[in-house]
Amino acid sequence: MNTNLRNIAIENSDTIVQMWLEKIDSLKGEEFRFSTSDELFENTNREFVNVIFTSIKQQGSLIEVITFSEKLITLGWPLSYITDGLQLFRRVTIDYILSNSDQVDTNFFSAVLTSVDKWVEPIIHQLINEYTGSWEHILSIQRIALQELSAPLIPVTDGITIMPLIGTIDTERAKQIMENLLDGVIKHNSEVVLIDITGVPVVDTMVAHHIIQAAEAVRLIGSNCILVGIRPEIAQTIVNLGIDLTNLPTKSSLKKGFITALEMTNRKVINLKPMEDGIEEMINSIQGE
Amino acid sequence: MSIPILKLYNYLLISIQTEIDDKTAIQFQEDLLDKIHKTGATGVVIDLTSVDIIDSFIAKVLGDVITMSDLMGAKVVLTGIQPAVAMTLIDLGIHLQNVATALDLEQGLIKLYQELRV
Amino acid sequence: MTPQSCVKIREEWDIVSARQLGREMAKKLRFSTVDQARITTAVSELARNIYLYAEEGQICFEVLETADHKGLSVSATDTGPGITDISQVMQDGFTTSGGLGAGLPGVKRLMDEFDIQSEVGQGTQINTVKWIR
Repeated sequence: MNTNLRNIAIENSDTIVQMWLEKIDSLKGEEFRFSTSDELFENTNREFVNVIFTSIKQQGSLIEVITFSEKLITLGWPLSYITDGLQLFRRVTIDYILSNSDQVDTNFFSAVLTSVDKWVEPIIHQLINEYTGSWEHILSIQRIALQELSAPLIPVTDGITIMPLIGTIDTERAKQIMENLLDGVIKHNSEVVLIDITGVPVVDTMVAHHIIQAAEAVRLIGSNCILVGIRPEIAQTIVNLGIDLTNLPTKSSLKKGFITALEMTNRKVINLKPMEDGIEEMINSIQGE
Repeated sequence: MSIPILKLYNYLLISIQTEIDDKTAIQFQEDLLDKIHKTGATGVVIDLTSVDIIDSFIAKVLGDVITMSDLMGAKVVLTGIQPAVAMTLIDLGIHLQNVATALDLEQGLIKLYQELRV
Repeated sequence: MTPQSCVKIREEWDIVSARQLGREMAKKLRFSTVDQARITTAVSELARNIYLYAEEGQICFEVLETADHKGLSVSATDTGPGITDISQVMQDGFTTSGGLGAGLPGVKRLMDEFDIQSEVGQGTQINTVKWIR
């Protein structure tokens, strides 16, 4: 019975393909039409339906399916095209077989449904697997990319290091930032670390908690933390949320923080040529004229 | 097993090199206070560079011995706490709030010198 | 590496052996240095609780492997007096031994999963898991 149905489908593949191609055209969505030429769309449709038939002929071989899905993923076609296309194929094939048979009772009907399902299901599975596989791959690459730009540690002068934080901080990232920070403090032998949160969009209780913990840990290993880059709106949220930052020295800008850090390490910035001297010289030169 | 305590002028230097069990920790507490009493030391540096675990008990003993030394007139600085140890202490909720720390033995001595001078 | 290994806790020195085994297993599973320290510290806290309150019990380690995760399970079992009020011992700063009271809530923060069951007069069972990041 199954082989029989398979033969019917294969023998009449031309008609089925024709029916399918007519209907698939209506599936071509709006956003899709812009990025794809009609020619490419038609060719791919033809290839798609051929892949389905090859799989049926070879009794469920999926080699062609894998190659085809890889091609679709590279082209960036949506998964919905594939699932819709296969559903359509299922419907068209069932319609065709039923309308061309004389004997249509419940048994025959369910036999047709079962065998067509058997042809289509493995292909759907394979394609969805390929797609999710590619998504997961992209996701993991992006995660690594994010980790890489996570939290650089910049030693600016002896004993002073700056860590600019950029982007949203979640627990996972916070832990990593803390590890980077502590290892960096040891590596650069920093007496003072400036944590710059200018690039952190939101500071909520959780982010503040992580920053406080990082500062505490820095103190335990024998260094000091200054939190810099506190924007007005951040100061407001910190106070409104009732977050206690009293144990953590804070400064509004990196510049001010850096000056404090210099003081803490017994240094200061001096102008090599004092400004007043310059003005005096200028006045003298005018008087000389 | 006991932890050696070295004297350098007015300071006592301790480097903890072994896995500390509870008995050793308590023993160390007694030894240190004894030594402070005998020598009249004004500063103590405890170096923890080779310590790879501090649990809540050892943290408590350390915190206690620092407060006790303070009572006897000796200022204690902890040095060389490893990043991993610092992070577990934070996770445990132990902040050693009033304890002086420094990156290494050298900076610990500088810190003592500066604080005791003023 | 055996899938499961246990250390009996009867005397003080057993706390050290338990955490040494914990560290060794964490190292073999290639946990990061920080997570090794976290696991070792958690083991130390659990073992000390057994020694202090139950007098006898054991710490067991088990390597866990799921489809996409690998981890280490650390469980502490004792037949001691049990805990009357679990929510109380899970509070930061609560202590009956004069310690820092960081023990159990600390262990919960150090590990990824934490589960405690206790019956007065029967004993206490604590299961914790740390997954490899």
